[in-house]
Amino acid sequence: MSLITSLIPSLAERPAQAQPQPRSEERGPTVAPRYEITETAEAFALVVQLPGVAKDGLELSVDHEEVRLVGRRAWRKPEALTVLHRETSDAAFELVLSHDRAIDVEKVSAELRDGVLRVALAKAASLKPRKITVG
Amino acid sequence: MRLIRYTQPYGRTFYAPLARSPWAGLEAEVGRLFEAALSETASSAAEVRFPIDLYEDAHTTTVRAELPGVDRSAISVELVEGTLQIGARRVQKIGEREETVELKRSINVQEHVVQTDKISATYDNGVLTVTLPKREEAKPRKVTVAIA
Repeated sequence: MSLITSLIPSLAERPAQAQPQPRSEERGPTVAPRYEITETAEAFALVVQLPGVAKDGLELSVDHEEVRLVGRRAWRKPEALTVLHRETSDAAFELVLSHDRAIDVEKVSAELRDGVLRVALAKAASLKPRKITVG
Repeated sequence: MRLIRYTQPYGRTFYAPLARSPWAGLEAEVGRLFEAALSETASSAAEVRFPIDLYEDAHTTTVRAELPGVDRSAISVELVEGTLQIGARRVQKIGEREETVELKRSINVQEHVVQTDKISATYDNGVLTVTLPKREEAKPRKVTVAIA
């Protein structure tokens, strides 16, 4: 195995495959939120609409392969209220974006305000435009 | 294969009124209707609907609307002639240029049921909650009847 990882360094950094991913079934059905990705030379900007999700209900994890996001809605219908009409869902938001080592895991910043999550994902050094000076 | 000269059906050349399709008036009418219907959807596309929920308990009716990313000052809640109108303006920055999206929904409200002066609204985590308290006389009353 060490031979393989020495040949393919990306395998070494990869978290062990045996590590079970949290299954979406555990948190009930999930819905994909609306999102938008824009790209600049330095970074990717991810904007996700998460209405009804507060800071403590949001899980954002970024590793070498994926950006994983789970948002649970902060509001639960009190027992006393009866539903007259519904257009929204109570399901948690889940979004998984695979990026194939394109972003720098150390440089991720996120801000959640008024139900909109803005994540700045700095590009990995290998993806940034490099200026080569010719001697 | 032999080429044959195309001849107009319906003897158009002999009788002028037949040259016009007998359905021309209807066609024009259908076209007009389609145009009207399409222009209506085109104008409503600028006003984006957003999802709303309605809840009720003994004392209040609650409206919850998902309006993520809207500034509080850009939200308006108005009760006009028995219609609760929720409007919001979202300004999105796309690169250099700014885009404004108008969001609008209206809900029919029975004014004799709601205490119109006590309507309140909050905005948390991108969700607008409008609370409409019911009038005393509209609340369900429990009357215990003594049985002799």
